[in-house]
Amino acid sequence: MPRLKPNAAIGAALVGLLLATILLGFVWTPYDPIAIDLDHPLAAPSAAHWFGADEFGRDVLSRAMLGARISAAIAAGVVAAAVSVGLMLGLVAGFVGGWLDRALMIVNDTVLAFPGILLALALMAVLGPSYGSLILALGVAYLPSIVRVVRAAVLSLREREFVEASRVAGDSGLYTMLRHVLPNALPPVVVLATSLFGWAILSESALSFLGVGVPPPAPTWGNMLSSARPYMERASWLSIAPGLCIALTLLGVNLLGDALRDWLDPRDDG
Amino acid sequence: MRRRSRSSRWAVGLFAGLTGLVAAHAACAETVLRARLASDIVSTEPGGKRDANTDDVLAHVVEGLVAYRENGEIAPMLAKGWTVSPDGRTYTFALRTGVVFHNGQPMTAADVVWSIRRYLQPATRWRCAAEFGPQGIARVLSVTAPDPQTVVLTLDRPAPLLLKTLARPDCGQTGILHPDSVGPGGAWRGPIGTGPFKVGAWKRNQYVDLIRFPGYQALPGPRDGDTGGKHALVDRVRFMIIPDSSAARAALLRGSLDVIDSLSPTELGGVQGDKRVRLQFAPTADMWLMMLQTRDPLLADPRLRRAIALSLDTAALTRAVTWGTSRPDSSPVPAISPYFTPLHAQLRKPDLAQARRLAAAAGYRGQPIRITTNRRYPQMFDAAVLIQAMARRAGIRFQIDTVDWAGEVQRYSAGDYQALVFSYSVRLDPAMDFALLIGDKSRDPRKVWDSPRAAALLQKAVVSDDRAVRQAAFDDLQRAFLDEAPAVMLFNATRISAVRANVSGFKEWPAEQQRLWDVGFCGRAAC
Amino acid sequence: MLSYIARRVLLALPTLMLVALAVFFLIRLIPGDPAVVMLGEGADKAAVAALHRELGLDRPLPAQFLTWIAHVLRGDLGQSISTGEPVAGLILQRFRLTAMVVLAAVSLATLIAIAAGMVAAWRRDTSIDLAVVGASTLVLAIPSFWLALVLLLVFGLKLGWLPFVGYVPFAEDAVQAALFLVLPILTLTITESGVLTRMMRSSAIEVMRLEYVTHARAKGLSETTVLRRHVFPNAFAPTLTLVGLTLGHLLGGIAVIETVFTLPGLGRLMVESILARDYPVVQGCLLFTACVYIAVNLVVDLCYPLFDPRVAAA
Repeated sequence: MPRLKPNAAIGAALVGLLLATILLGFVWTPYDPIAIDLDHPLAAPSAAHWFGADEFGRDVLSRAMLGARISAAIAAGVVAAAVSVGLMLGLVAGFVGGWLDRALMIVNDTVLAFPGILLALALMAVLGPSYGSLILALGVAYLPSIVRVVRAAVLSLREREFVEASRVAGDSGLYTMLRHVLPNALPPVVVLATSLFGWAILSESALSFLGVGVPPPAPTWGNMLSSARPYMERASWLSIAPGLCIALTLLGVNLLGDALRDWLDPRDDG
Repeated sequence: MRRRSRSSRWAVGLFAGLTGLVAAHAACAETVLRARLASDIVSTEPGGKRDANTDDVLAHVVEGLVAYRENGEIAPMLAKGWTVSPDGRTYTFALRTGVVFHNGQPMTAADVVWSIRRYLQPATRWRCAAEFGPQGIARVLSVTAPDPQTVVLTLDRPAPLLLKTLARPDCGQTGILHPDSVGPGGAWRGPIGTGPFKVGAWKRNQYVDLIRFPGYQALPGPRDGDTGGKHALVDRVRFMIIPDSSAARAALLRGSLDVIDSLSPTELGGVQGDKRVRLQFAPTADMWLMMLQTRDPLLADPRLRRAIALSLDTAALTRAVTWGTSRPDSSPVPAISPYFTPLHAQLRKPDLAQARRLAAAAGYRGQPIRITTNRRYPQMFDAAVLIQAMARRAGIRFQIDTVDWAGEVQRYSAGDYQALVFSYSVRLDPAMDFALLIGDKSRDPRKVWDSPRAAALLQKAVVSDDRAVRQAAFDDLQRAFLDEAPAVMLFNATRISAVRANVSGFKEWPAEQQRLWDVGFCGRAAC
Repeated sequence: MLSYIARRVLLALPTLMLVALAVFFLIRLIPGDPAVVMLGEGADKAAVAALHRELGLDRPLPAQFLTWIAHVLRGDLGQSISTGEPVAGLILQRFRLTAMVVLAAVSLATLIAIAAGMVAAWRRDTSIDLAVVGASTLVLAIPSFWLALVLLLVFGLKLGWLPFVGYVPFAEDAVQAALFLVLPILTLTITESGVLTRMMRSSAIEVMRLEYVTHARAKGLSETTVLRRHVFPNAFAPTLTLVGLTLGHLLGGIAVIETVFTLPGLGRLMVESILARDYPVVQGCLLFTACVYIAVNLVVDLCYPLFDPRVAAA
């Protein structure tokens, strides 16, 4: 096991911080994150409100803590949905091949040919606003890239000796696929999944900005940031907390993803 | 001969040079007033394919027989005056003389008759055609021109709201057009009207230009609503299409825009106290409200609807949502109306204990109530968030459904909602406001208040033009409205406008309509 | 070569057909009626019905679809419901702007990525490398609309260096037009450079470990020559693929950035027309962007041999 690099350590620390915040948010937040206080809108950061208060007097720190849970849950949901379905489709396409592969790839290219954020916007409009439809909409938008990566990995693995050997030994196709191909196709997917987690958080914020997202009053970092927009000059603190949260989380996840890739990829031991 | 020719050539040259100079000077001095539209106009056809922006722009170009004054009353515009027959069915308009169209032709009764007949043809798709159909205020039996300066309009029944309907901005003010505005076969070419401006270049999604009409015949006196003395003080008005409100505000601060006619209250903080900009606040006659679906099994019980209304502190809500600019209002009669008496001014007092009691009595046990709102109008979204937070204190649970505007209009049109935050654009007579709400839901699902009692009261206000009778009807309607709570009124918005400090003469009025006549730049005249 | 292109184009046809089918029915699944949106809150039922008839929206969906497809095959994308403009003209006009911004930004981002990625790889694990990795990772973590807003506030409002609202067409005032595009291009360059830099760096590192680079160095070639002649050409291919993917996606509309900077580009057109349920425009736009996406990918694949000698040799 190579020594932990500083990048990986920073990444792990940031992700740990995120997890700690989420856990803490379950038991304690400074204020009720959805309680309004119309006497103190846009209160500046102070001892009472460390990160200030928003346009309805809601405590920004409390909302950011709850937002951590919701944003992370959405991102995790998107990753889980896209990766599980993507793995399945990619494996089938790459391993079975033939007309099934061609048909899957045409559908895949079709989805890929749609601009992702607009596809998600349209899907949200069809499905109505809810957590489920947000996860579905973003999941569908990101699915094709997973399918492509998995399929490419499977195609290159199919020709490798150990897969060939398993086949020659008379193992069933399904067994070979699950026992030999799947585990070896996983590393690139794991790396892609870490990036996907970050993209999902960013896309959720972009969708909020365009007017669709989770139902209020639930905060996400994305909708906190987009609703802070009119007050950027008067109350810049409103965008600082969620902006920092997004940036630090993505930084952590990306650094960790890099470390993961270095660790999974034997060629890159340096 | 030769010499003379040379000198005359010289003289001609000098003259040409001078006129060129003058022309060049005039060109340099062309004054352009730049105003903002949040979205592009949809056509140049008054009262046809339209939206509020289109109405605003075309109000500079065409004029009707009559128009609204600032206080919501009707005054002559292209008509000099009118008489109504004793049975209330025949209107005789005397036309002004000397009015010319943008193409130089004088306006005659024949043009008026042509215009009104055209509006009434189904093919024109006039926005207000339905008002003159079977369900409307009256049917037009005939429009005739007994002489070039007189127009006679005959109806099948008396219609006290006739003139107020003709003058409605969304009806295109029933603007009088020259017949050359349409081509052969009735295809629309462009508005040849009588207004102080003509339509110039229209670059889709970039700008619409209006050019000063030098032949305009202004009425005497000051401007008053859509009528009175209107003057084009600039050579060109450019409506720039700037959808984003922050961007528009910044453009104003930088001086690349002169007028923002309706500044979003959220942008107010960025301009208040800035010396480069002057602000104006004008209460308007629109209505912001939350509708409650009386046909919903849960909300059919008026006690629960009253409980919801009592759980809301509309004064605090209005203050927060409009950044203290607008006035809370519990009555559909707008605060600027002459019918807005102390009875209407009385706000419903929030009472959480009573709200809980009523909700319990109605058998409400915390079932979520879905409230539809949208993000196109930030105030509607914010209002929904606050309604949710306030009702929670009385144990009433709202669940917010944010859809886009098209989705919300769809739900509104189909009556497909439990609660819905909405706003109606300006109606300049309280009867028109109540008429938006009151009606039979099985015939028109858009109606909010399906009550025979209310319908009868409204009828009284519609058929009468006696001030006291109407006031009594509006008062009774208001009491019934609070009691039955088919909707909770929130506020009448205040329109905030911001103009550059060197812009003179800009004035808001309750119609929420951007007027750029009598607006110019400080210079010779003091500011 | 030509037969390869022809085959690719043929292969793209089923995809385009599916795109057309999907977009047609997807947009109609969204609740909301373009006629009601157009006519507004107080429109009466007869007027809505008449507009439906005029727009052909009263016919059964499959019939509408067939009519639309038949027109598309003849090169006619129809007219916008809300403005009556021809969709094809609308798309081309909006696309010009989007393409200008995207091409400028992606070119700049690619140049930055090449320089930063190569240097970082060359000086691996030094402070320069750490700075490049840190900066590109950080850039990846910034929501583009947030960055856009911050740039807008700083350069547009606080410093007042750049105009920032609306847009002047190049035909009217080239200098002004260019100034309006500075911030959008800057925003996009920054956000896109992160991913490209990381890709460039990691593939350069991989190439540098290969034997022939060691050989080249051993031959006494200068470091710049080694980097330019041996490392770069072999390391650029994966980045080029990524550039292609990025281009394909961005040319499909940079809706968020166009919204912040109020640029009348293709992305905003699509968002607006989805919101207005302007069916012909949404359909036309998405079909067009799918074509662009497919075309860009084809071009990138054709460029591949230029940078990857192994493919060229094969």
